[in-house]
Amino acid sequence: MDVVLSENQTLLQQATRRFVEARHTVSQTRKLADAGETMAKQAWADCAAQGWIGLFVPGEHGGMAAEAEGVIDAAIVAEELGRQVYAGPFASNAVAAFAIAKSGSAGQQAQFLPSLASGDMTATNCFAGTGAQDGLAPTGLTATRSDGGYRIDGAAGFVENAAGAGLFIATACAGEALSQFLVAADHPGVTIEPLRALDLGRSLAIVRFDGVQVGADALLGAPGSGAAAFERQLQVALVLQCSETIGLIDRAFEFTLEWVRQRNAFGRPIGSFQALKHRLADHTAEFEAAKAAVAYAAKAVQNNAGDAAIAVSIAKSQCGKQGVEIIRDCVQMHGGIGLTWEHDLHFYLRRAVANQSLLGTPAMHHERIAALAGL
Amino acid sequence: MSITTTQDRDTPEENAFRLKAREWMAGKLPPRIPGQPYMDWDDKELVATDRMTQRVLWDGGLAGITVPKEYGGLGLTRRHETIFGEEAMPYRLAWHLGNNYNIVIPVMLAHASEEQKQRWIPAMLRGDHIWAQMTSEPSGGSDLFGLITRAEQREGKWLINGSKIWTTGGEDSDMGLCLARTDPSLPKHAGLTMFMVEMRQPGMTVRPLTLVNGTRDFCQEFLDDVEALDIIGEVNGGWAVASTQLAAERAATSRGWYIGVGASLPRETIEIPDAPIRLARELGVAETQRARQIVGEVIALEALRELVAQRAGKGVDAGTLPPTIGGVASLASSTLNQRASELMTELAGPCGVSGPAEGGEPAQGIDRVWLFRIGGGTAEMLRNTISERHLGLPREAGPGKDVPFNQLRTNAAPAT
Repeated sequence: MDVVLSENQTLLQQATRRFVEARHTVSQTRKLADAGETMAKQAWADCAAQGWIGLFVPGEHGGMAAEAEGVIDAAIVAEELGRQVYAGPFASNAVAAFAIAKSGSAGQQAQFLPSLASGDMTATNCFAGTGAQDGLAPTGLTATRSDGGYRIDGAAGFVENAAGAGLFIATACAGEALSQFLVAADHPGVTIEPLRALDLGRSLAIVRFDGVQVGADALLGAPGSGAAAFERQLQVALVLQCSETIGLIDRAFEFTLEWVRQRNAFGRPIGSFQALKHRLADHTAEFEAAKAAVAYAAKAVQNNAGDAAIAVSIAKSQCGKQGVEIIRDCVQMHGGIGLTWEHDLHFYLRRAVANQSLLGTPAMHHERIAALAGL
Repeated sequence: MSITTTQDRDTPEENAFRLKAREWMAGKLPPRIPGQPYMDWDDKELVATDRMTQRVLWDGGLAGITVPKEYGGLGLTRRHETIFGEEAMPYRLAWHLGNNYNIVIPVMLAHASEEQKQRWIPAMLRGDHIWAQMTSEPSGGSDLFGLITRAEQREGKWLINGSKIWTTGGEDSDMGLCLARTDPSLPKHAGLTMFMVEMRQPGMTVRPLTLVNGTRDFCQEFLDDVEALDIIGEVNGGWAVASTQLAAERAATSRGWYIGVGASLPRETIEIPDAPIRLARELGVAETQRARQIVGEVIALEALRELVAQRAGKGVDAGTLPPTIGGVASLASSTLNQRASELMTELAGPCGVSGPAEGGEPAQGIDRVWLFRIGGGTAEMLRNTISERHLGLPREAGPGKDVPFNQLRTNAAPAT
């Protein structure tokens, strides 16, 4: 996070770290993974009680958005969750709450935001199609006018925390323009096809929409206005993803430094060998650049600044590549022990790789930057 | 994006200084010409212009902003220097005298005698002398304190013999700081002394070096019974003086070597560099996927360099990051720069290694990389510093610090 935080942000950071280290460490993620489970609804409600989702929810709906810098504060939470490879539906819910708070009608806000803030219900965004080059644009769904409402068809890929969600935000192509819809998970025609994920603490699914008929009241925002809203939601999602990666690197680097100080070979700590020291120095430099980029992006998205779109792609470029590069090298420096299932490192590496690949790979973001720069 | 001043942060006193400087500068300083290098020692006219500018500043009472009044300066703060630099944006300042104010004055303030300070500092502020630093040697770059240039006392004089290299502006300098070994029976850090020498004297041969990019800013000196003028600090106390010298160099590099050059001003938005976009268009590859990826990545890398420097500065100012973060930011900058340079080379392909017969040398991907990763201390030395001082890792095993210099393996007489 930024090198200068407000007093409230420092308190949020400390409280989140204490809570996660007491209740939701990487060991907890390991237990859930070993049992083939995802976080229980009550456990998530306990987390939401920390006020994490309420960062985006206005006071009248049970949140505290007025007192928060939602994006920056949520990024602080995401970073802390990354340090322990947290396995609950934080980011997906935060982005959904952001979407409804920004674009939802008064009725939609009153209907959904209180239960999102309290953790009684979860929602998630269908960001992408199902292909290898998907992640940055809503290519999977179409909407056509029908019976005074809309009919949604297609498949959304890599949807986070779809299993157990009560509500989907679906962005669909309606002719030339994009429209966003709120669709209940139990709506006729909606099916969830769980995927097996590399990241052992993450639930991913394909959500299929087969002739899903919704009324005009399901529209989130004005018809055809979905592109700008989608971009803002994507920006928030990327800030949270990159912040989580910062937390992953931070913790993995921490215990790798401890390891190279303690582990002896040839009569001295392996951390005294330049072969390792120089790589650790390089990682420190790249990590610092990643932190700088994410802090800048969080602020730009919070302020809806003109360079927010390019800022999140720069952050993703650096976090995506370096998250994997650095944590993979942490495994290398651990030697054989780093390859065991019992060691926590693979949880960190798996999530770093997943974060690199979801919501646009670094290469896709480089193309996006070129386009944003006018090329 | 445009460069802005920090006038909104001025105190009333600072603002008065700003307005006074602004009014004074008009018509007195040479204009800044876009594309003109900040430093080019091969351009003798430009060197002469800078000497003259220093004199004009002195006559106008604006030389040595942060230098204490008793040595001819204004005795003001770094903040005043920044304000002065902001106001000097339309002009060229005395950049070829950078060693004077960035290195030699801080070194003298810390280690010179009162008499030395009274004599040499005002002379620098008047533009009478350009100073050089004779530090590195051909026999060893990174292992600075393993230097072998020696100074001996003969008939009441200190005479220096050896060779120095990477001396910026050596050929045009009047005076030099010269670190030499005065007692090889002491451990390597302990037997050094810092001398002042006149650069133009019998026995001193100065030869410019041409770098791969054609610049001739650095020189090599051959010292053959060169007579030292004076000593700064104690005999065999040169290590302390040199440490101040190195710290002054690091500090100047991180805040911006050239006063009035806007790189250190905070930027409010991400700047889109023009070069990669222009190159992709010129080469007709703007629609290919790989070219677009490269352009986007180069834009990202340039932004990251700026962001990491800003973060380090802000964190050190706020006390939330340790001062060692400066080295981390430097390493990040040189690494990111290298990646950008490699990508530009890939983007240009064969067009980057050839060009019109009458054009300049095609140097896509050459000059920037080499300068940033070697100049001012190699990236490898920086990695040692970061891993030991920032990350707290143990030192690499090496010969003991207490071994006399003349008994170290590489410096001992060959076995017979």
